[in-house]
Amino acid sequence: MTRFILPTVATDGTICTCAACGHALGPAPWKRGAIRRDLPLAVAGGAAYDTGHAGVFLCQFICPGCAVLLDTETAMAGDAALDDRLHLPAAAN
Amino acid sequence: MDPMTFSIIRHRLFRIVDEAVITLKHVSGSAITNEGHDLMVSLYRADGTLLMGGVGFLHHLTSAAEACKAIIRRFQGQIGEADVYLLNDPYTAALHTSDIYLVAPIHHEGRLVAWSACFVHVTDIGAMNPGGFAPQAVDIYSEGFSSPGLKLLDRGEMRQDVLDTILNMVRSPEMVSLDLRSMIACCNVARDRMSALLTKYTAPVVDEACAALVEQSETLFRARLRALPDGQWQSRQYLDVQGETARVVLTMTKTDDRLVFDFTGSDPQSRHSINCTKWAALGGLFAPLFPLLCYDITWNEGVIRPVTMIAPEGSIVNCTRPAPVSVATVGAIQSVNNAACTTIGKMLAASPEYRDQATAVWHANHFAIFKFGANQRGGYSIGILTETFAGAGGARSFADGVDIGGEIPNPISRMANVETVEGAFPIRYLFRRRAPDSGGPGRYRGGTGGEMAIVQHRAPAGGIDYVISGKGARHPMSEGLAGGYPGAPNSYVWVHADAEAAPGSADRLETIPGTPEPVSWGVYPLRGQDALYVRWNGGGGYGDPIARDPAAVAADVTSGVVSARAAAEIYGVALAPDGGADSAATVALRGAIRTARLAVPEAAE
Ligand SMILES: [Zn+2]
Repeated sequence: MTRFILPTVATDGTICTCAACGHALGPAPWKRGAIRRDLPLAVAGGAAYDTGHAGVFLCQFICPGCAVLLDTETAMAGDAALDDRLHLPAAAN
Repeated sequence: MDPMTFSIIRHRLFRIVDEAVITLKHVSGSAITNEGHDLMVSLYRADGTLLMGGVGFLHHLTSAAEACKAIIRRFQGQIGEADVYLLNDPYTAALHTSDIYLVAPIHHEGRLVAWSACFVHVTDIGAMNPGGFAPQAVDIYSEGFSSPGLKLLDRGEMRQDVLDTILNMVRSPEMVSLDLRSMIACCNVARDRMSALLTKYTAPVVDEACAALVEQSETLFRARLRALPDGQWQSRQYLDVQGETARVVLTMTKTDDRLVFDFTGSDPQSRHSINCTKWAALGGLFAPLFPLLCYDITWNEGVIRPVTMIAPEGSIVNCTRPAPVSVATVGAIQSVNNAACTTIGKMLAASPEYRDQATAVWHANHFAIFKFGANQRGGYSIGILTETFAGAGGARSFADGVDIGGEIPNPISRMANVETVEGAFPIRYLFRRRAPDSGGPGRYRGGTGGEMAIVQHRAPAGGIDYVISGKGARHPMSEGLAGGYPGAPNSYVWVHADAEAAPGSADRLETIPGTPEPVSWGVYPLRGQDALYVRWNGGGGYGDPIARDPAAVAADVTSGVVSARAAAEIYGVALAPDGGADSAATVALRGAIRTARLAVPEAAE
């Protein structure tokens, strides 16, 4: 049975997949199977996001299969990615 | 019990809270209360547990319950009919010293049967900076008058010595007196209406209905939780002050019919007054929980029971005395609001059944700016820029966020008219409008925040001063959902006028003549022809921006809320000469954005 960790990421209890194209992202945490792209704020969002301070990033997690944006985080260098996952009975999802 | 009687009593309790809120607003003379709606009224059971949470700032509902319990403990055996108690110590229950709780027992036929509690942000509390938010405070002792509980009215009679002592410690005592009297009026209305209800239905019947109401809320909330997926969702917030960054980190775990909010990993308490106490953190996580998960469930103790909070002692979300906390409500508490909104939003979005009730984060970053100084009528004014309550809506799975759409933790927040502010202070607005590119991009765009600029205007002292507790100028805080971007961060700019500058006009930051200097924390002047410019954050977006309807992007550009640059670079929408979307060029742009995304090597953490 397909369940969702986020609207963009599904899981069958073992393997996480892109909800748009079905590309397998691997076992939890799903972000390990995504493309991670850390954009400096000023590059990510234009002038309104350009605070004049380096070191803050818009972190994008992208499906390697269809290039859809699966999730974003505001992050500083060195911060681990947030770990969202389902707790399903008897499965590592 | 008889369902008709239960239903009637339940609705009467709603109306009692509503009428008490109206009383509070109408008696108060303070813009932060009657314009910004920085207030709260709720009813509590005889043991101090939450019975009927009202509107206003929802992070007060649980902490005011703790205030009731603290008063019960302190005054056991001395609580008389028509007493009114005051409590504002953050290490006992309050959020910060300037949010004063008045807690009033409700008796029927000689027996204590319930409590009402309310708060307003009083005009001043005697902290080292006017207005209560004290960015320069180094400890709780520099944050003004603070009481873990005192009797303000004894059986309906004002204790004048106590009132005079309080008023002797604050700036603008006439306004603080009015603040306190607005809350006393509120308590009186709550008590009178409860008395009428108790007289009509008898105390045992009302008590049975109240107990049933709490049980009903618990049953309904647990059932809702069981309908949502089990899992964990995380969020992270950054608070930047004076170049120092503090993190609030949250893991929310939902198991069956229980929720655990674990703030382990959050940074140690700060030397700056952005910290919050554990009661404040608890209130902070409930502020989005009540409206997002319990919009159709009465907000009471039954909702609190399935929830557990873990907040490490000594951290920014459970600081230890005497750490300063005066900026908590727009500091750590608001970050707890935002973090909880994000994790709850993710959990709702994970459920196809509940996805349309998920939201990206709304207005995540208040800017507490208190103007103070001699006014144009020969008096002295202190007041907040109520634009901080104007907010911005987060995007949902089916719609854009509402522009200038308020905030989740306060369903009735709003801002004052420009004319109201100009009538109270010797200032003039250059402009106030929606801020371009502030709404978080997404398939559905976050609502825009706003931008504004003010100058002094015929001020008798040549100008006024302001206290600013402005974080969020480095980090976006209104997080997006499902690939949506966060809303743009805040910006605070002091524009130093050129020496010979004449009074002028401007319609955006770039057209204000002078030299811009970012400011964020402390006390600053607004004199001569200098201007203060503020931009506040938009709401978070929902979904991939390159999936947004190109026609919607073109319409946003036409209305000025999205720039042509953002349309091309973020949304991948090319504009035709007539202002509409160029379909072929848009397909090409979006293809190029996908290619660029895939060009990044797959990176394991
Ligand atoms: Zn995909």
